[in-house]
Amino acid sequence: MNGLDRVIHVRGVTKTFGKGDAAVHALKGVDFDARGGELLMIVGPSGCGKTTLLSVIAGTLGFDSGEVEVFGHSLHTMSQKQLTAFRAGHIGFIFQSFNLIPTLSVLENVTVPLLINGVGLKEAEDRARAMLEKVNIGKRGDERPTNLSGGQQQRVAIARALIHEPRLIICDEPTSALDKDTGQRVMELLSSVARGPGRCVIVVTHDNRIFNFADRMTEMDDGRVQRVHENPSKSMAGH
Amino acid sequence: MYRLGLKMLFADRAKYIMLLSGMAFAALLMTQQGGVFVGIIEWTKGNLKNMRAPIWVVDPKVEQVNEVKPMRDTDVSRVRSIPGVAWAVPMYWGILQARLVDGTFKPIQLVGLDNATMVGRPTKMIEGRVEDLRIPNAVIIDDLTVKRLSVGRAKPLGMGDTFEMNDKEARIVGICQTEKSFFGYPYIFSTYEQALQFAPRTRKMLSYILASPAEGWTADQAAQQIREKTGLGAYTEEAFGESTVKWFFKNTGIPISFMTTIILGFIVGVAVAGQTFYSFILENLRHFGALKAMGASDGLITRMVLLQAFTVGIIGYGIGLGLSVFIGWKFIQMGQPPFALPYQLPLGSFVAVLLICTFASLLGIRQVRKLEPAVVFRG
Ligand SMILES: Nc1ncnc2c1ncn2[C@@H]1O[C@H](COP(=O)(O)OP(=O)(O)OP(=O)(O)O)[C@@H](O)[C@H]1O
Ligand SMILES: [Mg+2]
Repeated sequence: MNGLDRVIHVRGVTKTFGKGDAAVHALKGVDFDARGGELLMIVGPSGCGKTTLLSVIAGTLGFDSGEVEVFGHSLHTMSQKQLTAFRAGHIGFIFQSFNLIPTLSVLENVTVPLLINGVGLKEAEDRARAMLEKVNIGKRGDERPTNLSGGQQQRVAIARALIHEPRLIICDEPTSALDKDTGQRVMELLSSVARGPGRCVIVVTHDNRIFNFADRMTEMDDGRVQRVHENPSKSMAGH
Repeated sequence: MYRLGLKMLFADRAKYIMLLSGMAFAALLMTQQGGVFVGIIEWTKGNLKNMRAPIWVVDPKVEQVNEVKPMRDTDVSRVRSIPGVAWAVPMYWGILQARLVDGTFKPIQLVGLDNATMVGRPTKMIEGRVEDLRIPNAVIIDDLTVKRLSVGRAKPLGMGDTFEMNDKEARIVGICQTEKSFFGYPYIFSTYEQALQFAPRTRKMLSYILASPAEGWTADQAAQQIREKTGLGAYTEEAFGESTVKWFFKNTGIPISFMTTIILGFIVGVAVAGQTFYSFILENLRHFGALKAMGASDGLITRMVLLQAFTVGIIGYGIGLGLSVFIGWKFIQMGQPPFALPYQLPLGSFVAVLLICTFASLLGIRQVRKLEPAVVFRG
């Protein structure tokens, strides 16, 4: 497969929250593309619609008009049920606040996407163990996530996002709850383990310290994509 | 996923214990109060269990076995003459005072049996023979009499001992076992004639006529004949029991007060469990949101929540049932309050607990279902 395929197409998407005077036009006709194999960042001022766009692409938020196609699935024509199945199969999530379930062990947290996809417990735990090794946290599987540092928790979250080998990894502010060094290391890990042929990693961030990890940047403002550019600090020549 | 759902619940110790207590309390209250209620109902039928006869003939105004309106002695022969009646015998039943050695009195229930047939005789003799009742002044006492009337004596009442009833001496020729009855007083048996000696003399002394259907007649048919031909009341043993229970439902506040407690137990269960479970769901709403984002369907999450609710429900029910059986067993050992546990009772409270679980989880499930998965990206 050609890694440069445009695997995500967004055309003219609008989304308005609320009605009448209280209406907020969060997306005002967004056009956006992402390619297979790339780590794409979405940046822009607070409130410009980054999270909203990310939610739309991930199939967690309905939109008012426009078209969204992700790996050939047309989200604008899918039912809630289909969207749920789509998310389970194709999307890995990494959140700002990790969103690990504190009452479950690290290992159990990582198995969740597999269990949702109907994988048996034994196999899920084996695969989760291997994945924890991969994110260098193999020894902490039996602990509660709350015993881990922020950086370690985000590693667990990365393991959870990758365990079911989704084609799209969605990250909203993955480093903003972490200090600079930890954030750097988490991004190093993410860009090394998450990237793969045909797989797309989309990172929404404010954090200019991690801009250098992006292959491309999409700049948003006021509900629209303003500019897309290759990251000058990265060469795409290899692809 | 279900296993993890349960782990989430068990890991929240405080809520888990609260939920268990709520469910256990509801189950305990419902089963326990139900048990005491059934026990009381059983007690009301005490006379019918301790004096057995196929047909009971009473004054037409009598609707239940604990109430006596004396009939004329001649009524016995009237009943005997009815076609369909094999035999009919008189019985005396009344509450008398028996004297303790210290001079105080205790109420007892005196039963006078027909001299010839001893119909209605004690069902379980521990010592002695029923026939010895024909000896003058003889009585057979039950184990409760032994307990109640032995107060102040060097050793408990036994065979050959005497005590006074209504200033007349009674000599013990036997000891029997009886079922508890509504008044809770001990039973003392004598012959009918002897009972008339013990009891204060009144114009009419005949409490019941006990009868049996003739060959080829059912008890029902014979009882109907008696009613039609004599104008007296006549019940089969079973019908008298039913009529007694019905009377208690109609004429006493007992059933209503127990029903109220049982319904209260149910409401408390719903309130405590519902409240706790709802706050458990709310606290975990974020995580349920994350699960939804990761592709867990509403159906899966609903089933997880139901499983959580029903698991605590069933464990709590087990604890509650265990406790009420234990307490009931203690009651029975102490002799009161009454307690009985027909299988319908634990079954009923099990269904009630399942209902509580359903109500308790409904609110939470509603919250989870209407949750937008996109919330996980916010704060
Ligand atoms: N559920 C909602 N209900 C109402 N308004 C919303 C909702 N979600 C987002 N908005 C509004 O939509 C606009 C875009 O929000 P969004 O979260 O996408 O911005 P953002 O670029 O991610 O901002 P930030 O950098 O602060 O995270 C904002 O004005 C926000 O207040
Ligand atoms: Mg945002």
